[in-house]
Amino acid sequence: MEWLREWRGELWHVRQSFAQPDSAERRSEGEVTAFCLGAFQDALCLRRAGQPNQPFFANMRGTPRLCILMMAAILVATYTVALFLPGVRAERNLWPRKVNPNLVVIEGQGSRNDAVPTISPSEFRAWEVRKQRYIDALAFYQVRQRMVEPVIHGQTGTNAIWGVAHASSNLFTLLGLPLWCTTGETNAAINAPQLILSEKIWKNEFGADPHVTGTLLHLGNQTARIAGVAPDGALGLPGRIDAWLLEPDPAAHAAGPGYVVAHLTPAGSAQMWGSSVSIAAYGNDDSEDELVGVSLEDCQPSPMSIYLFAILLALLALPAITSVSLGEYSVNPHKTSWPRKVQRWSFLAAKAALLLPIVYFLAFDLAYGCTWFSRESAIYIQVVCSFAFCLFGMGWMLKDQRQRCPVCLRSVTHPAQVGQASRTFLDWNGTEMMCMGGHTLLHVPSLPTSWFSTQRWLYLDTSWGFLFAGSTRPVP
Amino acid sequence: MARDPKSPETKLSHTAAMILQSLDAGFVYGFSIMEMTGLPSGTVYPAMRRLEGDDLIRSHWEKQSIADAEQRPPRKYYKLTPAGKTTLEASRKRYPLLERLIPSEEARSV
Repeated sequence: MEWLREWRGELWHVRQSFAQPDSAERRSEGEVTAFCLGAFQDALCLRRAGQPNQPFFANMRGTPRLCILMMAAILVATYTVALFLPGVRAERNLWPRKVNPNLVVIEGQGSRNDAVPTISPSEFRAWEVRKQRYIDALAFYQVRQRMVEPVIHGQTGTNAIWGVAHASSNLFTLLGLPLWCTTGETNAAINAPQLILSEKIWKNEFGADPHVTGTLLHLGNQTARIAGVAPDGALGLPGRIDAWLLEPDPAAHAAGPGYVVAHLTPAGSAQMWGSSVSIAAYGNDDSEDELVGVSLEDCQPSPMSIYLFAILLALLALPAITSVSLGEYSVNPHKTSWPRKVQRWSFLAAKAALLLPIVYFLAFDLAYGCTWFSRESAIYIQVVCSFAFCLFGMGWMLKDQRQRCPVCLRSVTHPAQVGQASRTFLDWNGTEMMCMGGHTLLHVPSLPTSWFSTQRWLYLDTSWGFLFAGSTRPVP
Repeated sequence: MARDPKSPETKLSHTAAMILQSLDAGFVYGFSIMEMTGLPSGTVYPAMRRLEGDDLIRSHWEKQSIADAEQRPPRKYYKLTPAGKTTLEASRKRYPLLERLIPSEEARSV
């Protein structure tokens, strides 16, 4: 109130002072307005003076400690968000996946996309009846869109179209992965084929009901019985699958190509090269089909492998958006001491060490935080976000490092334009910034020339000390 | 800006030194100092708060009766403290042009 009272008192005298005839009224109002605008700065100054804790942050402004603290706070925040988002938690629980390394998804030799089915039902049936050298177990599945009438506890539900994979009965035995909710009513009176729900459908359509086993569903003109729930992402099988319908001979009624999952023999495993293997399968007429088996582990990349790939792309693209040089540090014979150099490089390493996990968790949260996204969409989002955040994060990191005093690591401030652009080739022109500790000046050229291409640091000796009252001056 | 107001070696910025010199010359109101120094209000008033926080100047409200007689709101005026005078003397050695500010008779009315 006292502040307001003071400004009101002064404003009265300002108005009296600038009271002008009508012709000058606009100018006098401008003067009064300019006076009143100063009240905001005064209020800010008063607020800062009234906050006893403010000097801590005021003194830390531009310091390396504040930079590290802020990055650490962002890291903690992104990690905390990752702990609480259900989609992120579920995805984290899947990794590392326990997949049999001898399980492969078979593709045709010329196939370029493992997400597209390439194996015809006739081929599968021919392989199934013959003894194979590289394969000792096979399972087939084909994804079809089926109209499903979910019957929830005897009540008729809404119709929905699901992606139902008509699969061999031995598929889940072959995969060897545990299913959820398998206890329950298994000896149903109706001899209906088993249906394994995906985790997403189980949560969205059945409210994650733990007693869903034994429930009957109508798939068109067929009735199926729920026998369990498969965790999303745990299987790593290609195709958008909402449920698996286990049948003794799925290839018998399959109209188009499907996917084949195979278990490799020791001979087949020995042929493995990286994550894929060239195998030969023999048909009924002794014909040999050249195929490629892609390890199930590789069908679905882990979030960490996606992140590392994005990091690599960002490192390759970094020179395109910013200079990777940290700038010329001295134009005089005096070099900075070794402890100062170590301190500077350690600060850069600390920023990098904090930036990388921030990028990882932030991209992870964005990709998997929303459960509406399919797995493929989530992977694309993670790649794009990891690449973008890493690229611009590293660009900021280098730019920040270039503008920190080599002696005290504070950010330089007070940019001032020096020189004239028209005299670029006669004298340098650019921006001069100063370290408020009184240690250095930074000269950044406006236009790189052959004699002044990158920024330069000018070390200040003690004769400059009177301009920086109260500053501490460590030895460069 | 000053850190130890009692030390004669306290270093002032040029702006703060101008404000102290104006106060010493008798320009005791904020608007008067603005007119004398040519500095904007956003510089003068925050600077005076900092100087008051450093005990170099002290503020007072003029008597209500004076303001009522002139039918205007009361004003706050400022005066140098002994520490402020000492600091101003030290600053005059660094900024010799400050002594060219002409004192007025405005301060006699308070």
